[in-house]
Amino acid sequence: MAAGISAVAFVLASLGKNSTMPATLVPFLIALLGMLIAAHIATRLLARGADGTLLPLAVMLHGIGYVMIARLSERRAALQTTWSFIAIVAFVLTLLIVQRPPDLARYKWTFLFVGAGLLMLPLVPGIGSSVGGAKIWVSIGPVNFQPGEFAKIALALFFAAYLADNRELISAGTRRFGFIRIPELRYVLPITLAWAFAVAVMVAEKDLGSALLFFTLFTVMMWVATERAIYLVLGLVIFSGAAYIAWRMFEVVQTRVDIWLDPWSQYEGKGYQPAQAMFAFANGGTAGTGLGLGNPSKIPAASTDYVFAAIGEEMGLIGATAVIIAFLLLLGAGLRVAVRADRPFEKLLATGLTTIISMQAFIIIGGVLRLVPLTGITLPFVSYGGSSLLANYILLALLLRISDSGARRRGETPDELTISERMEARRLRRAERKAARA
Amino acid sequence: MNKQIRKLAAGLLVLYLALFAALNVVQVGKKQELDAHPQNNRQTIRDFNRMRGPIVTADGVVVARSVPVVDPDSQYRFQREYPTGNLFSNITGYYTYSFGSTQLEKTQNDVLMGDTTQQKVDSVFGGADNTGSVQLTLRADVQQVAAQAIDDFNAAQLANGATETVQGSVVVMDPRTGAVLAMVSLPRFDANQVADHDTKAAEDVLDFLNNYPGKPLLANAYQENYMPGSSFKIITTGIAMENGVTSLDRNWPSETEWVPPQTNDPIQNYGGKACGGTMTEVFYRSCNIPFAQLASELGPQRMTDGVRAWGIGEKLPIDLPGAVASSFCGNVTPCDAAFFNDQLPLLAIGGFGQGNDLMVPLHMCMVAATVANGGVMMKPHVVDATLDHDGAVLTRTSPEAWKTPISPTTATILSDLMVGVVNNGTGKPMQLANGVQAAAKTGTAQLNFVEGEPQRSHAWIIGFAPAEAPRYAVSVVIKGTTDEISAGTGGRLAGPIAKQVLDYLFASES
Repeated sequence: MAAGISAVAFVLASLGKNSTMPATLVPFLIALLGMLIAAHIATRLLARGADGTLLPLAVMLHGIGYVMIARLSERRAALQTTWSFIAIVAFVLTLLIVQRPPDLARYKWTFLFVGAGLLMLPLVPGIGSSVGGAKIWVSIGPVNFQPGEFAKIALALFFAAYLADNRELISAGTRRFGFIRIPELRYVLPITLAWAFAVAVMVAEKDLGSALLFFTLFTVMMWVATERAIYLVLGLVIFSGAAYIAWRMFEVVQTRVDIWLDPWSQYEGKGYQPAQAMFAFANGGTAGTGLGLGNPSKIPAASTDYVFAAIGEEMGLIGATAVIIAFLLLLGAGLRVAVRADRPFEKLLATGLTTIISMQAFIIIGGVLRLVPLTGITLPFVSYGGSSLLANYILLALLLRISDSGARRRGETPDELTISERMEARRLRRAERKAARA
Repeated sequence: MNKQIRKLAAGLLVLYLALFAALNVVQVGKKQELDAHPQNNRQTIRDFNRMRGPIVTADGVVVARSVPVVDPDSQYRFQREYPTGNLFSNITGYYTYSFGSTQLEKTQNDVLMGDTTQQKVDSVFGGADNTGSVQLTLRADVQQVAAQAIDDFNAAQLANGATETVQGSVVVMDPRTGAVLAMVSLPRFDANQVADHDTKAAEDVLDFLNNYPGKPLLANAYQENYMPGSSFKIITTGIAMENGVTSLDRNWPSETEWVPPQTNDPIQNYGGKACGGTMTEVFYRSCNIPFAQLASELGPQRMTDGVRAWGIGEKLPIDLPGAVASSFCGNVTPCDAAFFNDQLPLLAIGGFGQGNDLMVPLHMCMVAATVANGGVMMKPHVVDATLDHDGAVLTRTSPEAWKTPISPTTATILSDLMVGVVNNGTGKPMQLANGVQAAAKTGTAQLNFVEGEPQRSHAWIIGFAPAEAPRYAVSVVIKGTTDEISAGTGGRLAGPIAKQVLDYLFASES
């Protein structure tokens, strides 16, 4: 684990050295590394049994992203440093507050309403604002954030908790319809409504990437929870239908598809960015141009949605593959946590959270590579953006907590009392003593 | 549920493998196709963000250099600048991101970028900066004097009611080596305006320059040709002497008209005057009839062979891109005897530089230089040497002969004839200060009158000095833009400019 961190330190340092970056970067890097080491120590203290690969992988991605952002814009690097700090603090706080995962399940309805509220926030006049066509931003005073990033965690929590409670009822079904057993409406309705509502709101906000991510999350969780492949098929059918209708009905979607197929036809307009991304990848080739030596700044969204193209240009096939492998390892580790967890809620939550990260990475990397039509979304841990970083570190903390909980359950780590339990025990002992004295 | 989770892992793995495959397709498979894409300018930008060496004159003045861009937000790291403004822009050309590069910036690109094989090998052992520099044969001081002289002339014309910039050029070269010492074209442009990183502004400038009369982007000194008028008589006389058709002993009766074969339309002397005398006299008086007769006597075959020996019809072998050729047949190709067989009047007129004759100003300087250099025409060049980053010579231009149209004897005779022009004839305005003997020939070509435009003419003077051991050859041409200029002769209009430049050259020697 520590070796992982030092490897990252080495990578960061050498990347910094070889590039043409300003000297002010060094303090940034030291501060960032300090925070990440603190996160590591906190994990060791608060979640001793947690999987040892999750945090280093996230930190590596975070580091590569940070170097790329710093190379593109010093101003953004400074902001990202602040957000990194906040994200690490949130990470530690999450580990501190959530000591026993089942506690979370109790608040499932709260999570549903919080998630729904967060999703709706950008639609509230006065505080919602749109950037690049998508209305997903909220500005309160000086703080701008994307509530959707947090909503997806809240909704994943709700799904996991709800499905953990009702999965057998949904799975069993009561009525038969040919081969298909239809579950009772009252069990499926709440979750279907929540899902439909969420997707509808995202579409209304023109946040197609999040809508797609969310749709996938729901389908996967339904499938895993009920163990019935029909939900996967159903999801696919609904998705295809919805995609076709959207393509027929919305000009935006048609443009997206046209640009996907041939960005050069609209080079002067919307095709400029994907075309530049293609040029960036080609310019990078196998070994990359070297950091600071390419021209990723020609891609307008180089530090956000298109950060993968910037990495591809300056770090080449090798660096870009490293990023893909990091996500692959991250999803492997996340799903291992899900397999090892033995309570349905924890299993489902780990599955859901891992699906969020890996699908989000797939959607944006695939979009940038023109494997799938592009839907704007951040690359977890790598892209510039405070909300995304914060949400993903919270997500990571939850995964670590589930992992730790699984390890305790299996007896791999002594199941010590949590801080709050210790305090509770002390209170009880004091009360007992008081009672004995009385 | 574990079964589903494992299936999910497998499914996601497949998706990620697809990502990896797509990444390979884009970064490796389609790399060449994308790099070569017409809309892909990353390669250009990459070059644009590299250091680029300077272009320096023979007297050490930097005429093109790259300076770092101070603005940290600029997508470019260097700005190409031309400290001498418009003085050398026709020679350096410009180096731009959006509009490519021209002239030396184009042809010497590899040296300036450090991309020649030798520079690349050397850079393995040397430092990071392996850019080279280009050393010109041109002298900034001479260029400045020549530009000043022609600009002053232009200013005087504009003050006198001319409505457009005078077109003209001044070329000075060393007749012994072909090294060009000054080459000024008017109108000209300032490469700094084109090299502006503000693409829109640069585009506007280019549009303006492309539509400007007189084509400022072309160095008319070697990229345009003009009717040479009487200055062509040097060539006709040279050919006639080489073929034994004339000698210094020949005499011409004083005549006002002569009717060449195949026509009833007589040829007249300048201004319709009677003109005649010895070879020396008809040369300095610049009679037309004797030279028309020489061309006729030579006939189509010997005349076309003769002009070819002077390099007419061939692109000038200067080390700058886009050089044009002089012509004895206008736009007609091929320019051979067959063309003139039934055009004998045109051949006769061509003998004194009218009709279909078109000469490049640089070429006329080379003609004067040939006489000065004992009959050997040297290849003109503006690059003296290319140097690597440490100042070590990569290549040096060695003087090379291009043509030998006349024997040394003929050259001596022609030289004497040209001395006569300065001392007794139309070239008197080119009599130099401090008793330096110059040799010259003037020319005044009346262009066909175009309705609605002023009468236009080409006023020439070409020559060299000192006559006894020539070190400098010069040609000056001015395209008349008003009736008034056009009424003047080459000697009166172009002569003072040539004198100014030559006087400066000799003054600068001591």
